[in-house]
Amino acid sequence: MRAAADLLLAALHSAAEALSGCGVRFEAFARLGESVHLHRERDGSLERRLSREFGVACRVAGDGRAGFAAASGSGARAGRDAARAAMATMRPAPDPLPPRSLLGSSGTALPFQTPDLERLAALVEEVAGRFAAGNHGLALVQLRGLAGSSAAALATGEGFHAVASAGGAVLELLVAPSEGPWRHFHFAAPALADLDPAAVAERTREAALLATRGRPPERQLADVILAPAVAAPLVAALAQRLTAAAEPLGAARVSRAWRLVDDRPGPAGLLPLPWDGEGLPARRIELIAGGEVRERLATWADAERSGGAPGGAVRPSYRHPPRAGPANLVVLPEPALQQSELLARVEHGFYLAVPAGAVQVDAASGRFELRAAAVAVRHGKPAAAHPLVTLRGSLRRLLGALVAAGGDSESFSLACAVTTPSLLFRRLEIA
Amino acid sequence: MERDERSGLFELAAAVARERIAGLVDVYLERRAEAFWRLAAGRVVARETLLREGAAVRRAGVFASSDGLDRPALAGLLGITSRALPAFAAPRFPEAPMLEETAGAFPTAWSGVRWRWSWAAVLAGRSAVTVARPELAEVTFCDGRRALACWPALPAPDSDARPPAAPTVARPGPTRALLAPAAAAVLVHELIGHPLEGDLLLRGGSPWAGRGGQRILHAALSVADDPTRGDLPGGFSADDEGAAAAPRPLLAGGVLVGALADRRTAEALGVRPGNARRAGVHAPPRPRISNLIVEAAAALPQPPRGDAAVEVVSVSSGTLEPASGAVLLHVRTAFALRGGSRRQRLAPFTLVGTVARLARGILAAAEPAAAAPEPGWCGKDGEFVPTGAVAPWLLLEGMEIR
Repeated sequence: MRAAADLLLAALHSAAEALSGCGVRFEAFARLGESVHLHRERDGSLERRLSREFGVACRVAGDGRAGFAAASGSGARAGRDAARAAMATMRPAPDPLPPRSLLGSSGTALPFQTPDLERLAALVEEVAGRFAAGNHGLALVQLRGLAGSSAAALATGEGFHAVASAGGAVLELLVAPSEGPWRHFHFAAPALADLDPAAVAERTREAALLATRGRPPERQLADVILAPAVAAPLVAALAQRLTAAAEPLGAARVSRAWRLVDDRPGPAGLLPLPWDGEGLPARRIELIAGGEVRERLATWADAERSGGAPGGAVRPSYRHPPRAGPANLVVLPEPALQQSELLARVEHGFYLAVPAGAVQVDAASGRFELRAAAVAVRHGKPAAAHPLVTLRGSLRRLLGALVAAGGDSESFSLACAVTTPSLLFRRLEIA
Repeated sequence: MERDERSGLFELAAAVARERIAGLVDVYLERRAEAFWRLAAGRVVARETLLREGAAVRRAGVFASSDGLDRPALAGLLGITSRALPAFAAPRFPEAPMLEETAGAFPTAWSGVRWRWSWAAVLAGRSAVTVARPELAEVTFCDGRRALACWPALPAPDSDARPPAAPTVARPGPTRALLAPAAAAVLVHELIGHPLEGDLLLRGGSPWAGRGGQRILHAALSVADDPTRGDLPGGFSADDEGAAAAPRPLLAGGVLVGALADRRTAEALGVRPGNARRAGVHAPPRPRISNLIVEAAAALPQPPRGDAAVEVVSVSSGTLEPASGAVLLHVRTAFALRGGSRRQRLAPFTLVGTVARLARGILAAAEPAAAAPEPGWCGKDGEFVPTGAVAPWLLLEGMEIR
């Protein structure tokens, strides 16, 4: 952490120096990210990528004006560049900076650890080797491994200072069955050591062979179980919608089976951090619980306008000002059912097991569409395979249609971190 | 490149070459400046600035990148000492345009305007090539969609953007659709552009692999990738491996005649390189689309609305699923057609087809062709580059409304 902290502090210091005589309130944020990527192709060839990103962002406010700018670089100059550019962007606007009295940290920063390329390479090779074992007719088209670490620091002109760090590891496998569409699998964990190569290979094999042939189902309304990998992007989209919707979705009918939290301080979830994107102490934010939409994620300025509570700011990179949004989503199953219990609750429906492509969400209407490999379920038993089914609906409908959740939670690194079990919904549209 | 005595890039390239770094392929330097004007009710309410700079080094099997464009950062990537490198200078970040002062009020459907400038250089061997790209103008709409053009032109307001309160739901099933240029551009981007990218061709994920010299479209369309069109967002003077930009014919009268290649894929495909693009300093170069120019040998003089059931004005995105051969167009704006005239505005829907059906299903092209604000930003494995297109209207069958 020492070298990373020195770099962050040098950049913040140079930004503060450039701004301290300008007669403005200011906030400087610096972030260092280091990552290693490995791409293993079908023929065994390897491509290694090592990346180091560093940048500083400054928000400034004074005399009824405010501005924002960010600059990347390799040291203190980035801080000075961001500070000067921020001053040049000032224009009439309310002060967006939270008061000093609200800033703080809910914990201490973990040590920054440079990602380990050799360890990642060993993991990738072991997964590839274990996947290849056996005569299953599957080809591993591409295997990608990623390990990354980041450290961030925030300082204000009023003397607040905080640091944080985080890490993560991801494995992505692109698999070609002997027939049917290729499948994409995603595994994420807080660290490389948390990814079990044997489990990754076995689960990928099983899921890729689940629905390689079969006819598309008729268009219908049906009960659906979404496996964690299928549910995760929908949960993220729902949380985004709850944050951004012009009209409150709280008016929608909400199932009591939902309990969705943004567990910012952890320990649950993939990406806990001790403070939010503006330097407010991290707290667990209940988004949906008890049959209602609870809190709406808000920055300090949002909360001032709406009368809500701040603490919901995120800063995915240094390049943009903080905005309201989910950080570490966790679906808490209450109760957590066994897979067999979930299936037993489906008289006539589908188990969507493996996502096929990205979820499409229409921001204006809140309607979504996703495709997945599925198994038809009749009387709680698997009945037929469908290599591709389309699930459509509205995020509002999802709020009311959840009836149960499984105990098989998995974490995913998407636009935010999402941890979710399998989710059972009543009467969604299968096309 | 014209020699710029003040930049020191040639001296830098020579110094790097002198170090004889094992497996070194090239060095990439980049600077980008962006300004974003946040709008509300047609007025600017905030302005943001982003200044980025960085370098990337490719060695055999290894790609390393870092923010920062100074000697220590570059020396660190190369694994040498800073002293081995001479001083060099990238162009200064330019001042952002004076948008607020010159443009006045904006359409209320816009939530932001972004300007982007970039400079890049590729050092390979002892040569240094600078990469010139057009400045970009991007409009973000209140519903989240984005449109791209070359600065100072701002994308034209979409007169059909505001949906009616209760749009008609399109009837599911096979349909004959008339695609306006903006939608046709996305279809050709997905159907022809992506599948002819060298890495996809070699990975076995392209339906056009091994079809060189064959007629792959029933319609006599000619498609070229043309980065020399500096008036379109995907233009560049040299690709991101330093090869001079040149138009690349892909289809001639429906016959497959080319592919998009970088250095790594060119030899295996039997074509010259020149289509390598990087999504940024942290992304390695890959074969990518720049500007797709679609022409038809016998285009109809006007759109044949009488021959179609649905007119698709614009799509929010398109997708090609390589292995299944499915093409999806997520339609944002469309109208039912009857008797050659527009009737009801339709609610958003998805058009789904297969590459094989679409190859036979493009029935006709019609004037007027137009530069399209879409596809705009093209994503591939999470890496986004600006692209442009000029396309005619297309009449097609073989896709289903879902």
